[in-house]
Amino acid sequence: MGKNVLLADDDQLLASLLNFRLKKGGYEVHCCSDGKEVKEFLNTQLPDIIVSDIMMPYFSGIELIDYVRNELKSKTPIIIISSAGNEQNVLSAFELGANDFISKPVSPTELLVRIARELNKI
Amino acid sequence: MLSSPKHNILAIITAPEFSLDFLWTLTFIFLTLAMLCFVGIFLIRNSIGAKAIRTKNKKMEFSPMISEFLFYEESNDIEEKKNYLHLKIEIRELIKDRFDRNVFTEVLMDLRKDLSGESKEALIHLYKDMGLHNDAFENLKSRRWQVVSKGILELSTMEVNESYSLIIKFINHRQSTIRKQAEIAVVNLKEEGITYFLDTTKYKISEWEQLKLLDVLRHKPNFEPPQFSLWLTSKNADVVLFALRLIKYFKQTDAVKSIITLLKHKRRDIRVEAIDCIKEFYFVDALPTLKLVYPKASADVKIAILDTIGEIGSKNDIGFLEIIQKREKNFNINSKVIGMLNKINPESILPTKHIETEAFFTSNLNDNALTEDEIKTVTDEFLEESKDVEADGAITVNENETTYASILGDQDEVTETDNYENIAEKQISMDIVPPVSEENTAFTNSMVEKEDEEENREPLFTLDVSLQEERIDTDSDSTSAANSSHQQEDIDWSQIINKDIPNLQLGHAIQSDEKPFISFENGAISFSANFMDEDELETMVLLENIAEMGDRRELFLLNQLLEENESPLILERANELIEKFSHQLSGPNELFSSDDGLKNSVFTKIFHLSDTATKLILLNEIEDIGDEKEIRLLESLLLDQNKWIAKRAKAIIEHIRNKINEKECSETILKVTLLPVGFELESDQNLTNALNQKRKI
Repeated sequence: MGKNVLLADDDQLLASLLNFRLKKGGYEVHCCSDGKEVKEFLNTQLPDIIVSDIMMPYFSGIELIDYVRNELKSKTPIIIISSAGNEQNVLSAFELGANDFISKPVSPTELLVRIARELNKI
Repeated sequence: MLSSPKHNILAIITAPEFSLDFLWTLTFIFLTLAMLCFVGIFLIRNSIGAKAIRTKNKKMEFSPMISEFLFYEESNDIEEKKNYLHLKIEIRELIKDRFDRNVFTEVLMDLRKDLSGESKEALIHLYKDMGLHNDAFENLKSRRWQVVSKGILELSTMEVNESYSLIIKFINHRQSTIRKQAEIAVVNLKEEGITYFLDTTKYKISEWEQLKLLDVLRHKPNFEPPQFSLWLTSKNADVVLFALRLIKYFKQTDAVKSIITLLKHKRRDIRVEAIDCIKEFYFVDALPTLKLVYPKASADVKIAILDTIGEIGSKNDIGFLEIIQKREKNFNINSKVIGMLNKINPESILPTKHIETEAFFTSNLNDNALTEDEIKTVTDEFLEESKDVEADGAITVNENETTYASILGDQDEVTETDNYENIAEKQISMDIVPPVSEENTAFTNSMVEKEDEEENREPLFTLDVSLQEERIDTDSDSTSAANSSHQQEDIDWSQIINKDIPNLQLGHAIQSDEKPFISFENGAISFSANFMDEDELETMVLLENIAEMGDRRELFLLNQLLEENESPLILERANELIEKFSHQLSGPNELFSSDDGLKNSVFTKIFHLSDTATKLILLNEIEDIGDEKEIRLLESLLLDQNKWIAKRAKAIIEHIRNKINEKECSETILKVTLLPVGFELESDQNLTNALNQKRKI
């Protein structure tokens, strides 16, 4: 059974595409389209890795990192997806404990490699 | 029989007569229109909503299909290959419908923005494989600019290189959106696109377009930039500007002469960009041209030029910068010049503003009763520092400042003279304190403040030289004269005393019997800056107060002071003030200050500030409510240039006089009727005489 990936992105087309690619890569993927869903999911179970967009409704990627690290006290690897020119957010994400980041436009294959690398670190 | 009178009512405004049927018809029409409007909005809204839902559903339907396509690998097993082929057929069937085709294109366009790498290539391949670019080609033929623009964007995003020849036609399109879209597409699609664009564009290239095009070029893989200096000769100034920016970005240093020539361009932004390039590429050859164009440049260009000179200039350019520093009045430019001077020659200019004088700090030394050795050490250090600074050519001391060097130099002189040669073991105490008395302090400070409040207000100084062995007899004329003349020669009082005391006669002050300039108390010589006697000082204080708070009413007093005083200082100051107040305009109250009669009337002030119409209105008021107080004002108006006012004033005077007479008569009668019982009544004749007398009065 593959590792659990939580994919949080409000862009449903991209989420669907990445979901397809990750599933094809052998991962179990749970998609969330906004922060509320993410929080609800995290309260029920912790995935092996979280892939989240920074800009999301209700609960941004930065808040998600803060929630996971400080509220849930979890060391689950978090990869942030950020649009180009959003360096300040990326720095904030790293400060709060993000493990990696990938900028848009995303290469699904690259994302797959990064996820594998983070999971191998554990 | 009496009949009631008939009343004819004439209506000024009559209500128009409306047909009630017509009103009902109008009501019906408007209600119908309102209903149609509501129904229309409802239908359109529902249609848009339904379309959005349908589009969303279609997108979600296409999404896995597209994903399947994008991540298809040749190495997949036969089953997956079969699926892939089935899917392809299915999509082809689906996109036969125009709506589905549009949605499919939309999905691909959306994903194109978010994907890179192999997925992006696969996406473009899918777009072309499905023949969707043909729709875009069709769009280019449309008459609607939105459709054409959309077509260009689609072809550019999906990198359909075949469309290049079709899109270049839109480079000079009159519709700005199409033109901008075409510019980006042309530059994006082919490497030679940028050269074609720079060659052919006739229109203005906005800052946004320039940024966008630069961004496209920046992200173009394996882009080899052409020699952009070729476009520095373009007739389109925007092309020249863009070429300069591209030259700077791609660091092409082969166009020195062209860039230097562009320093003389008529357009400010091109000049600034050229200056930037010169600074960036360190074109030292441009320095003479930079200096040449400097005088006629605007402030921001001047700052840019100075910045560049500071960056690439050498010590040879210091002369030019110093000249500018002297001439330039603009604070920003002047600051820049100083900055650049210090950049080329570090610390050549030191801070001068708001710096306390050296004397200010030595006053503290005195308070702590430093010994002679300590003072010597301090002063020697200072002298050495001064020499060093002078040797470096640094500007450190203001003209008005008292320097250690001058003071100490004089001090040495004092010890060498005949009268002081026996003075040994002297204790030098240099106080830079306000001169002696409080009055003096006030006076001196007021003079200093007048010149420049922000200047150092540390006052003049007194030199106390303690004597241990010999006292100088100040009563001796020769000695005092010698001292005074000696003092005048040795100490440069013009430096010490503020320039605002121009005619101060030190010699005279020193010879004064009451308070000597040099006094000897307890074996110490006290050099006190007591330049005038107390009366003079009081008068000067008075004059300064007048200067501060007085106005032209003080002219009389000032003239009196001129007559009473002989001191040149007082005379000069009083004359200055007379000159100053003589030019002041008279206030309304002061116009008639000599005429108390005019002051009595409340109308005087407002009357003289009014125009003719208001004056006439005021005269009416005076006629109604005025009394004897107004007569003087009215009399002054009898000679008014305006005949109406003069005539009216004359009439009102008569009116008021009559009114007064009537009033007096009635009062007299009243008095007579109220005479106490037993009072001896005057005869009628006496009463009439008394009334006549009063009238005369």
